[in-house]
Amino acid sequence: MKIMETDLQKIHIFKTNIDKIYPDCSINTTLDNHLDIQQWSVDCEDCDRVLRVVSDTLNPDGIISLINSLGHECQELL
Amino acid sequence: MRIRDIDKENLVIENAIDQIVRDGFQGFSMNKLAKACSISVATLYIYYKDKDDLIQKIGGKIALKFFTGTVKDFSPDMTFEEGLWRQWENRANFTMKYPKEVAFFEIIKHSPHSEAILDSIKEFSDFRAIMKRFIDNGLENKELIPMTFEAFWSIAYGPLYTLLNFHTEGKSMGGKPFVLTIEIMREAFEATIKALKP
Repeated sequence: MKIMETDLQKIHIFKTNIDKIYPDCSINTTLDNHLDIQQWSVDCEDCDRVLRVVSDTLNPDGIISLINSLGHECQELL
Repeated sequence: MRIRDIDKENLVIENAIDQIVRDGFQGFSMNKLAKACSISVATLYIYYKDKDDLIQKIGGKIALKFFTGTVKDFSPDMTFEEGLWRQWENRANFTMKYPKEVAFFEIIKHSPHSEAILDSIKEFSDFRAIMKRFIDNGLENKELIPMTFEAFWSIAYGPLYTLLNFHTEGKSMGGKPFVLTIEIMREAFEATIKALKP
């Protein structure tokens, strides 16, 4: 992953309650196939279950609604 | 507006090395690290996507620094004795200058991260090629007896690393106080060369 080349403004960080990611879970299929998401990851080992999203176009509120619609809590970490 | 802050990044790297050397992988967490650096957890996740990513990125930086340091002023076309001595000096200098980085590297060397780290450094294959040429030259010039690679490595570098471990701990066998000097290093080197020469 070339973080040096990623514009820092396009990285969004959230605290969630996503405790597990498996191949066919809704988070995985939705985020993987989302055209506006270049890259994403969830650190399920961390107590904040931190979601990291790289997107040129989505804003934090848009990402929060998306995660909420998949049945998970999501709040921006600042 | 987020700005990439090199000082902050270095602070993160320094603290991460400290925590992992002190508490191991298990005791290390992104939250603890953010606290120790007085930065928000979010800032940390801007740079690293998780704990493994952080460990591998920092490991990669250290490994690159180590390889670069090891081949400083070294050429595979040196005579075997001259080249091996330069390697000893470079490795000893690195260990003495960066003891924490070396301790960190020792921890990751035996973990599943090490392969990912070495794969991430494109310079690593250059380093391997240089070392291979050096050994091949030594064999061709009859300065070195042919042997299994691992047997060669243990004799060529084992004595040095034993001395460096004594030095790092400040004591040798039976708790005897010990400081490595260039004379002692040279003494061990002469014996090493004798063992490797045909």
